[in-house]
Amino acid sequence: MLAFVVRRLFYGFFVVLGVLFLLFILFFAVASPDDIARRALGEKALPQALEVWKVNHGYDKPLWPWQARDNLLADHFRSMLSFDFGRSDADDVPIARRLRQGAGVSLSLTVPIFVLGLGLAVLLSLFVAFFRETYIDTSGVFLCVLAMSVSILLYIVGAQYLVAKLLRWFPISGYDPDLRVVARFLAMPVLVGVLSGVGGDVRFYRTVFVEETSRDYVRTARSKGAGELRVMIFHVLRNGMIPILTRVVLAIPFLFMGALLLESFFGIPGLGSMTVDAINNNDFATLRVMVFIGSLLFVLGQVITDVSYSLVDPRVRLE
Amino acid sequence: MARRVVWLLAAIGVVVSGCTNDPYPDADDAHKVYYTAFSEAPRTLDPAVAYTTSSHAITGNILDTLLEYHYLKRPYQLIPGIAEAVPKAEPQPDGSVVYRFRLRPGLVYQDDPCFALGGRGRRSREVVADDIAFELMRLADPLVNSPVTDPFSNIRGFAAFAGRLGALRKQQPDFQQRPLRLQYAAAGGIEGVEVAGPHALRVVLSAPYPQILYWFAMEFTSPVPWEAVAYYDGDGGRDRFEDHPVGSGPYHLAQYEKQFRIVLEANPTWYGVQHPEWAAPGAVYPSEGEAGDARAGLLGPGLSGRSLPFIERIEFHREKESIPRFNKFLQGYYDAQGIIKESFDKVIQNDRLSPEMQARGIVLKKSVSPGVMYLGFNMTDPVIGDPAGARGRKLRQAMSLAIDSKAWVDIFLNGRGVPAQSPIPPGIFGYEPAYQNPYRQVDLPRARALLRAAGYRDGIDPGTGRPLQLHFDTYATSSQQLLEYQFFVKAWREIGVDVRIDATSYNQFQQKVANQAYQIFMWGWQADYPDPENFFFLLTCAMRRSTNGGPNTANFCNPRYDALFNEMRVRGNDARRLVVIRKMRALLENERPWIELFHGEDYTLYHGWLRHVKPFGMSVPMLKYRDLDVRERARLRAAWNQPVLWPAWVLLALVVGVTLPAVLTFFRERQ
Repeated sequence: MLAFVVRRLFYGFFVVLGVLFLLFILFFAVASPDDIARRALGEKALPQALEVWKVNHGYDKPLWPWQARDNLLADHFRSMLSFDFGRSDADDVPIARRLRQGAGVSLSLTVPIFVLGLGLAVLLSLFVAFFRETYIDTSGVFLCVLAMSVSILLYIVGAQYLVAKLLRWFPISGYDPDLRVVARFLAMPVLVGVLSGVGGDVRFYRTVFVEETSRDYVRTARSKGAGELRVMIFHVLRNGMIPILTRVVLAIPFLFMGALLLESFFGIPGLGSMTVDAINNNDFATLRVMVFIGSLLFVLGQVITDVSYSLVDPRVRLE
Repeated sequence: MARRVVWLLAAIGVVVSGCTNDPYPDADDAHKVYYTAFSEAPRTLDPAVAYTTSSHAITGNILDTLLEYHYLKRPYQLIPGIAEAVPKAEPQPDGSVVYRFRLRPGLVYQDDPCFALGGRGRRSREVVADDIAFELMRLADPLVNSPVTDPFSNIRGFAAFAGRLGALRKQQPDFQQRPLRLQYAAAGGIEGVEVAGPHALRVVLSAPYPQILYWFAMEFTSPVPWEAVAYYDGDGGRDRFEDHPVGSGPYHLAQYEKQFRIVLEANPTWYGVQHPEWAAPGAVYPSEGEAGDARAGLLGPGLSGRSLPFIERIEFHREKESIPRFNKFLQGYYDAQGIIKESFDKVIQNDRLSPEMQARGIVLKKSVSPGVMYLGFNMTDPVIGDPAGARGRKLRQAMSLAIDSKAWVDIFLNGRGVPAQSPIPPGIFGYEPAYQNPYRQVDLPRARALLRAAGYRDGIDPGTGRPLQLHFDTYATSSQQLLEYQFFVKAWREIGVDVRIDATSYNQFQQKVANQAYQIFMWGWQADYPDPENFFFLLTCAMRRSTNGGPNTANFCNPRYDALFNEMRVRGNDARRLVVIRKMRALLENERPWIELFHGEDYTLYHGWLRHVKPFGMSVPMLKYRDLDVRERARLRAAWNQPVLWPAWVLLALVVGVTLPAVLTFFRERQ
């Protein structure tokens, strides 16, 4: 298994390199160092101020290695691979510091969404599968398809209007890290996060569970006198873990990255919100760090998923 | 089972009853706390660099300036800030001009640990003239990279100081490791900035530049203690100076979590608090204003001469999205707010506040911002610019006559703008409401006649036999902006001119500008200070983009205009200056390097509990003059925000009602 993990990580390294290279090309195809400088200094900044800014931030160098030995592409790879993230182009704040500040905030939003969403989705899908081919199953699937067809933006705006404005249960937006009150600000984004994801998850898990219920081992369990609840929880749920794991484990690393739209609309200062700011401000320094971390987490997530297969199903062997 | 259900219901009841939409857990209704929102985190709070409204909203409350603006008087008027008086220009025989500032003695900085650098245990010190000289040297310092070095280069020796400093840093590798003030001292300081004692500052300009006084009313020239710059270097867990300004203003920075919350608290050591007996103009509520101020409750015996500030704490909360921000204003959680496009029709009806808003006690205030939006022609273009001579001029005049600014403002800005007749907006000297630019009235027959006279009969280019084709260059690519430009294209099509929108990336657009390969563009300018010079300079030869990299993107260059400009810029606001302005206006009227579109108008909503509010227009925070009735606010907030709980119970009943039959059926069948 160790050899498998090392090999996967080795391949993953090249994936990350490719991502970094593509990011560099895509970013500089739509923006230029002048553009970055102008965003940082404002519309009225004089050309000489823009030039000084570019020199101070290393953007005066040529883009490609064939233009000069000391070039932006080399700087880009050097700083990312050495984890020396440098400072934000927008306001010169050290990016590592902002990552430390934002990761906790993002996790305070994404972990509850993940845990509650997973719990609710498994519970509901077991419930629906339990009552398969009844009106609960049919209406459940209908509601799931409806829920997964609606854009998260509509959930956000709808919740802000209905729950916060009309019913006045929670603040429309905002954040306070004080542990005594943070739940007040996270309740609605968590609710939206859970509801917007639960439809697709329930539908998927239900299919898995319904398929499992028609298997031989379920019939055997029933014939041995196991009750329906016991069959669902101890047999069906356990055997349906592999497809669930694929979905779940892959999502875990991304919890650190935050939720772009939820954080932006609810004013939560996490890493998702920071990424949106970086895109809006042409903050290449921050954006590349976020993409770099995202690709690392993706590679990591895939390896963990593969490893988890072998842990839950002894038939799976990693070679 | 029944007990479990009771417990569950009780738990839900507790959670639901604890629901509240109040975003301020620490709200203290006994104190005057002003709540406002910001959408973009300030990039920097370093006064030498900060040049955005989001930064000035913070620094303007923390830092004092030598001069300030009168809160109520319009046209804008300078008053003394921490200077004892607004200095008079003293012309010298050699052509230079001297301004003498005298600081009020006894001003002190906010308490801050940085002052320990000047003496063990020290928490503050007096504000002295050296601090302003230090800040002026920071403006010149190439490493600080201030965006406003240009106006200050009128100070004698400003550029030379920057040169000497740069040279020393290059020659001596360890020079840069020295404390900044020692580096500045080694470079010899700025020749035209003379400190004559702790409270006297003499500024010498190489040539007359009366507008320099306005720059002394901005935070660029605020006193900055050298200790703050040295101490807050970002090392050893210390803040960076960009995030930790230290000033002597009416408020100090209490919390700076710029991604979500910024808090300012009244500064107990501010001179207005420490020395109410001075009744300094910048520290007491004014007793004079303009006509209508008394009727609007902005003047009165109970107000005039009262010590500032009224508000004890200012909380800025980050709201990136406009809809939540506006809804929180309606719930009473923000005290003032602009009107978002999505709610405009609900808020404004027949150009007045809707009855629903009035019933909530909300007040609408309109103010025309000192700025101008315009369409510009590239005057170096062979078809539309100067090389085309009279033909090009007539073409520009004809195109100007086809644009209906009012219709544009009505469609795209809900009518929030005043159609512009010249570059000068209302509130600035030289603006004459009665003035009608003969080329800024929609007159299609006259436009067609001018086109004919230019040789483009019915818009046909005789060279090609097809409609004259021009291009409108922009780096805006959103569908909304392209729709706005389509309005102009359609208007010009009416007279037969075929204008194509050429939307590119910013980089490509800049390349076009550098190569002068552009014809028509849309641009705007917001005043730095309330003087016509700040608008007319945009069309001087010295500011040409093509040759000097300045903001004159139209590349207009006319020696007569420049001569008039030079005469106008050094005069005070007198009758002669108005005559010169009229001449310049007439010249632009005929030459048409710009099609002046409109002066933007801000519609701002204020809750009734916010007192004596007068919109200021420019990026100068005036919060120290505002007041709050916090009791009224608490009462209305409570009345407006009672949670509606019955839907929670209905929802619960619905879930139980839907699932219960299935569960019961299942258990019945099993038995």
